[in-house]
Amino acid sequence: MDVASIIVAKPVLIGLHLGFAIVGIDAFLWLLGEFKYAAWHATRLRISALIGVLGFALSWLFGGYYYVTFYGALVRPVIKAGLAPWAHNIIMETKEHVFLFIIPLALTAAFIAFLTEEEFRNLNIRRQTLVLVGLVAALGLAIGAMGFIISAAARWGTAS
Amino acid sequence: MNKPRLIYASSLSAALTAAFVTVITIAAELYAPLKGWLADLSGHHWTSKSILSLALYVAAILLCYMLFRDVHAEKVRRGIALAVWSAVLGSLALFLFYTGHHLGWY
Repeated sequence: MDVASIIVAKPVLIGLHLGFAIVGIDAFLWLLGEFKYAAWHATRLRISALIGVLGFALSWLFGGYYYVTFYGALVRPVIKAGLAPWAHNIIMETKEHVFLFIIPLALTAAFIAFLTEEEFRNLNIRRQTLVLVGLVAALGLAIGAMGFIISAAARWGTAS
Repeated sequence: MNKPRLIYASSLSAALTAAFVTVITIAAELYAPLKGWLADLSGHHWTSKSILSLALYVAAILLCYMLFRDVHAEKVRRGIALAVWSAVLGSLALFLFYTGHHLGWY
């Protein structure tokens, strides 16, 4: 078994999707803390923003590959035939599309992180930035919770 | 590179992307030929939406950056707020749409 076939194995793909999403969420919570509480530290702001964007992008890539290759054929029919078909019809359908909002929002936040302290103060965008960065982390967390519901429905949806 | 202009262009593009994903997703659920076209484009409707949304974001950011040269602080603040509200309302719209769809409201 080569490395590529290990990476595209179903449990590994799920792990990479979730793992990189956690990296993205944590990095944006770190970025939120930098903007809200810390003195302006350009390197930390830029590193946390870049780690966050990269984490979400990789989560998108691995999760998307899993969704397109395996979910529709193997998981979706189990959920739809189980006790909680709404887990696919409402939660999964919402999750897979809301995810597409994250990268543009995260990139916008990353561009703000590349301002100098003087530019940031002159623009007077602290409140808007906190809301934007907080929203990216909150969307990531909400999507994670949706993923938990979908996994639970697939695992336990047929149990009475 | 003018950073306030870039942030403003990115904010508008993020708002446009959220609106695009919301509208095309709901439209494709209500109009099967559109969903079929999206599926034919890349092999899966979601992959097509992913590619189109990313392409739209990149194209819009370039266009907005070139078009909007007079960007001041108030515009940047409004742009970020627009991006935030578009994502919030888009998320709510999709959740409510799929809830109604599942419950057979339409």
